[in-house]
Amino acid sequence: MIDSVRSLLTVFPYAIAAGSLIATACSLLGVFVILKRVVFIGIALSEAAALGVAAAIMFHIHPFLGATVVTLATVAILAYPFERQRLPRDAVLGIIFVLASSLSVLLVARSGFGLHEVQSLLYGDLILTDRTDLAIILVTLLPVLVYLLVFIRPSLYTFLDREAARVMGVRVMIWELLFFFSLGVAVSAASKVAGALLVFCYLVVTPSAALLLSKRLWLVMLSAVLVSVAATMIGMVWSFRSDLPTNHAVAAVACGLFAAVLVLVGTRRLLVRRVPAESIRLAGTEQG
Amino acid sequence: MKTHAIQSEESEVMAEIATERKSVITCEDIFVGYGSELVLKGVSLQIMAGSFVLLMGPNGAGKTTLLKALLGLLQPRRGQITTPFHRTAPGYVPQQKSIDPLYPVTVRQIVGMGLYPELGPWRRVTGDFRRRVDATLEQFDLLAHDRKTFSELSGGMRQKTLIARAFVSGAEIFILDEPTSELDERSEREVVQHLHRLARQQNKTVLLVHHGLGHAVDHGDMVCLVNHGKAVLLEPDENHSMEHVADAARRGIAKGKAS
Repeated sequence: MIDSVRSLLTVFPYAIAAGSLIATACSLLGVFVILKRVVFIGIALSEAAALGVAAAIMFHIHPFLGATVVTLATVAILAYPFERQRLPRDAVLGIIFVLASSLSVLLVARSGFGLHEVQSLLYGDLILTDRTDLAIILVTLLPVLVYLLVFIRPSLYTFLDREAARVMGVRVMIWELLFFFSLGVAVSAASKVAGALLVFCYLVVTPSAALLLSKRLWLVMLSAVLVSVAATMIGMVWSFRSDLPTNHAVAAVACGLFAAVLVLVGTRRLLVRRVPAESIRLAGTEQG
Repeated sequence: MKTHAIQSEESEVMAEIATERKSVITCEDIFVGYGSELVLKGVSLQIMAGSFVLLMGPNGAGKTTLLKALLGLLQPRRGQITTPFHRTAPGYVPQQKSIDPLYPVTVRQIVGMGLYPELGPWRRVTGDFRRRVDATLEQFDLLAHDRKTFSELSGGMRQKTLIARAFVSGAEIFILDEPTSELDERSEREVVQHLHRLARQQNKTVLLVHHGLGHAVDHGDMVCLVNHGKAVLLEPDENHSMEHVADAARRGIAKGKAS
């Protein structure tokens, strides 16, 4: 095991650095994605990023540029207040997901690539992260992390109680837009190497585990990062040792960790409920 | 001698307050609505500083719409609203459903949110702010529950938390949307008495959406009756006490329902 980790560090240092950074940024954003109850936005944006990569392949531009343009265009569409229409936002997200998924495959279908290559191009492979990928991830995700940590207060107030925050002078429109812009940028940068599935996993699965683990926001954020990074490391070692697709291995490990947390929290709740009943019985015995 | 000095000082303060009784909120013929539906149709109001106004009216009459328009959350289609809220944020208590219990935030964090308008550009929370939050938590018997999350609180405690968030700010105007609907009698009395003290002793203005029964009626200065898209201010005079005014408002609401 230790040898595998050592080999991984030597052979794939960029993959480990990129994986950790993506896991950190996406899981922190994911905490708010879940709290804002806009989970489906994660998968819709990831697929939009894949569509951007496909368009980039077709028009011979850099995949990151294509992914960013299409993802941010999707964010702009989603900023429209659909609540005023008869169409719920979730339905719009579903339509974007179906459109992006089908169009991305159709765009590269006639490119001459095989199915495996197409999948690899659209949905990336964490283990194949190179120096350029890491540089792009560093340049895009570090500002997102700074935004999340420095401006946590106005962002939280905006999401927590939009009206009251507005009355208190919080510029809710700006913070809301900044959040979705950051989400779009992070997803488009991460999707190129981590793929839609793993990005969605970081946005939903690991933050869900963190929300089960703690009742304090900063602890939830910290737990989300720790669970995500742990899943990334364990998944990468597992895929390296067993020759498995890395992104899927990491996603599977993240789901395994979520299940473990669920069992742990469930067991703790059961024990807490049983303790008073037993203590009452014990007290009765003593009195008798 | 000392008593005389205090009395004269008090009367001076009262006189000062009386001369300062100027209009703080003015609505001139405002029309407000949602989509194609107009809820308020030509409302004109003038609220003076230091007033304690009870907003009454049947469900769906537009009380919350009027509050939201005053707060700048809804733009009037026509007419003009003048408030000082661009300079100083009001203490606002929304209905308790405004916070999603899924958020892992504590009572202390929610109350601390009320100090946001006073935080500096880097939003640093100083020791003084922490002391003010502590004092407000204590005032509302929330100090022992300050580490609980919103989801762990009862309906009454949630309302108290939202009221405490408004009070911690030291605002000049308080706007409260049915803040006491889930409070027990003792808590309701305390909240209303506190609002009354703020209005009387500190010249703060209070607008309270209320059903028009209980302690608030004893402490209010006037009733703003919202019905059929209009709003009228009903004030007690030499012949009519506040109880009479609230009674008349309740009869007006019942008549409106019947028609």
